[in-house]
Amino acid sequence: MEPVPSRSTTRAGLAALVVVSVLALVETASALIAPHRAPTDDDWRAAAREIRAGFHPGDLIVAAPAWADPILRVHLGDLIPVDVAGRMDDERFARVWEVSQRGARADAARRGSVAAERRFGALTVRRIERPPAVVGYDFVARWTEAHVSRRGPGAGTVVACPLSGDRMQCPDIGYNFVRRQIVEVDTRLRVALFAQPVGGAAVVIEYPAVRLGRRLAVATGLADVWRRKEAHGTVDLRVVVDGAADVTLTTGNDDGWAMHAIDTSARAGQVAAVRFEITSRAPQARHFALAAEARE
Amino acid sequence: MKMFRLDARRIDWLITAALALATIVWLLAVEGRQGIGRDEGQYFRAGERYWGWFEELGTDIRHGELRRPFTASVIDRYWSDNAPDHPVIMKTLYGLSWRAFHRCHCTGPTRGLHPIPVAGRHITLPLFARESTAFRFPAIVFAALLVAMVYRFARGWLSRAPAAAAAVLTLAQPHYFFHAPIACFDAPITTMAFAVGFAYWKSLRSPRWGIAAGILFGIALGVKHNAWLMPFFLVAHYLWMRRGDLRARRFPRPPLAFVSMLVLGPVIFYAHWPWLWNAPVARTRAYVNRHLQHEHYNFEFLGLNWNNPPTTTARKLIRATAPFVETGFTVPVTTLVLAAVGAAVLIRRRRGQPIVDGGPAEDAEPGADEPSWLRPGADVDRAPGAFLLAQTLGPLAVLAVPSTPIFGGVKHFMTAMPYLAVMAGVGVARLLPVLAALVPPTRARLTHLAPAALAVLVCMPAVVETRRSHPDGLSHYNLLAGGFAGGASLGMNRQFWGYSVLPMLDDINRDAPANRAMYWHDVIHDAVSMYKRDGRLDMGVGDTGFGEEALRRSQVGILFYEKHWAIYEGWFWDSYGTTKPFMVRAREGVPLVTMYRRDQP
Repeated sequence: MEPVPSRSTTRAGLAALVVVSVLALVETASALIAPHRAPTDDDWRAAAREIRAGFHPGDLIVAAPAWADPILRVHLGDLIPVDVAGRMDDERFARVWEVSQRGARADAARRGSVAAERRFGALTVRRIERPPAVVGYDFVARWTEAHVSRRGPGAGTVVACPLSGDRMQCPDIGYNFVRRQIVEVDTRLRVALFAQPVGGAAVVIEYPAVRLGRRLAVATGLADVWRRKEAHGTVDLRVVVDGAADVTLTTGNDDGWAMHAIDTSARAGQVAAVRFEITSRAPQARHFALAAEARE
Repeated sequence: MKMFRLDARRIDWLITAALALATIVWLLAVEGRQGIGRDEGQYFRAGERYWGWFEELGTDIRHGELRRPFTASVIDRYWSDNAPDHPVIMKTLYGLSWRAFHRCHCTGPTRGLHPIPVAGRHITLPLFARESTAFRFPAIVFAALLVAMVYRFARGWLSRAPAAAAAVLTLAQPHYFFHAPIACFDAPITTMAFAVGFAYWKSLRSPRWGIAAGILFGIALGVKHNAWLMPFFLVAHYLWMRRGDLRARRFPRPPLAFVSMLVLGPVIFYAHWPWLWNAPVARTRAYVNRHLQHEHYNFEFLGLNWNNPPTTTARKLIRATAPFVETGFTVPVTTLVLAAVGAAVLIRRRRGQPIVDGGPAEDAEPGADEPSWLRPGADVDRAPGAFLLAQTLGPLAVLAVPSTPIFGGVKHFMTAMPYLAVMAGVGVARLLPVLAALVPPTRARLTHLAPAALAVLVCMPAVVETRRSHPDGLSHYNLLAGGFAGGASLGMNRQFWGYSVLPMLDDINRDAPANRAMYWHDVIHDAVSMYKRDGRLDMGVGDTGFGEEALRRSQVGILFYEKHWAIYEGWFWDSYGTTKPFMVRAREGVPLVTMYRRDQP
């Protein structure tokens, strides 16, 4: 004689049948409907028209989620120059245009208030306004004002690295140079100063006359996914602000694009020398990238 | 005149054949929309080159030079292509299929694109318009074999509708479906893993299947190195099944299947691969080391780029979840829930009981009191739940080890998926009596329709989801993840090896003369050649090569979205002087390939 199923078994079976049946219908419906929820080219064109109509030079345009950024640039890439696309961070922008889909919000648009919002099909365009960080000195943009040198340990030899073409090249070591370039850090593109550390010496980038604000925003990272795969050493960046700060920042593979704030309020409004010293105990395959701004 | 009668056995064979045929038709109908990845391009090339050896073998035999094709230099000329990377059963089949079934335009403008000299027009049975389809056909047949085998295996436990559902749910998984029609090894090794498991299961009560298990294992070794792991999962089940021996402090007798695998496996492996013949030990070592020391290619998982074994505890924990999270986000959710129901049924099942009510009992065979190495499952319950769980969780567990590379995503543990589908079939079978009980006694005829109706209902989301995913199955994620967009937001891998350019070829063709200096990024030159041989890419379209300098030489170029390729976009910005792509190929709004054009307005 076959065993009679218990009441709980029957209920569990019924519940499972209901769950599976409803799920099958929902999953089927979702698979059929979801493709139509994606933004169309017309949505993107309409959103782009709206932004172009209100765009001011210096505005930032971002996509949310960030993975939609290439499509955003197809429509508005001419308003997103390399320096903006590879920006250090979002703080200097007073107006941010966010093109959002599926309810996503961009990190760049989290601070500030929504001044305008309009839907274009599956896209929502928001204009966010907020007080921007006032940049007194951009170390990447003004990189040719820097004096680059290679200094031995202690009070050792100092070798000057003059401007040569697109870089400040130190003698004798081919990879020992500093230049402004697009780098990949943490699989994102940045416009930064690129400098590889050198064994037994410091690569020094000195800006003789920087108008200081209340803080120095410094970003560091290790560039090149292949070099991060290959090597594991850390890089030290010593930041010396004449009479205001002497800070050492250490960057490793997993640190990504690390933002640091250095208090310079003691000399705010004054002109001072700022020195960056780059060293590493394991300098092989360390493609160090650095960006900095003196901010009010 | 004898009447043809459809008895139960014949009906099952008809269903088996119908499932296999439907698989072939479905895959052949859609494979042409799926592009050629780096690996597949290489296997096309290698397969055709291996065919070259057979061509030379024929010529030498005709000239009475029987030893010449077996000399080291001749063997290496053909068989060292793609060695020591992968054994050659599938590549050889791809080459033979191409030779037999392509429509030959070989003496025309594409003549120089073949890896071996084309002596003249090939006489073929021109089944396929594209050469790439002819190469792919054996993989498609292997997928059909898998679907058929899943039905046959599940029929041993289940009624027809749940068994057929298991077969359909095997194929209707977007990531498996992506791999199924391409001339690679991941779908074929999934077939072979199931074949070996099936033979092992049958061998527990039938000695001839023990011999078959060894032969199939040898073939599996010749398909892909995943085969090395199969014995571990089978041994795990065997020890569990014979745990009574262990409790009695008696070592279980090694079964015929394992002896056969141990003896026949290496023999078949060695025999099938000419490249090994002249230096078997050194070259086998090179092959084994190639995979034991395999590089960790870049792969995106949960927003992170993985290209090394993790070193911190937090990263190790995240990494260990990869096969489970990927399964949870790629297999259709209804299939997963059914598999969970099936797993619960199997776990609750008592020894000797049928898996589902009305199914065949799993009793020991009458008179089989003594354990025998020839029929080692005859005197015990064969523990079907442990068997399915070991075959499903085994491959996932291996990929959960943080030091294991995960660059292939689901394909690295895809051998688990047919067993998961069988478990889902068990789940369907569990729900059938519940559904039947809901049918009012006055509508008894509906009871007969209930199994088919339930099977259709549960297969529907998987089939619709799979259809939706094509031809970008790698970018597709399930309802839990939120589809293409959800997968992108979760930071799941979107694609690899440059296959997703195919829908852009018409745009590239139109872009003459700029396309004479085309930068193809991750599309391997073999794939570009095959697109030309297939007539899908103009012969004049160029290929500036790989890397930064090749990009800087180009007039138009593409970029595949993968996290680790980010700098290539930076090089486009720098070299082309703009951040504005010419076009983006996207699925449901998610970018897959970006195209840049120099000096575009």
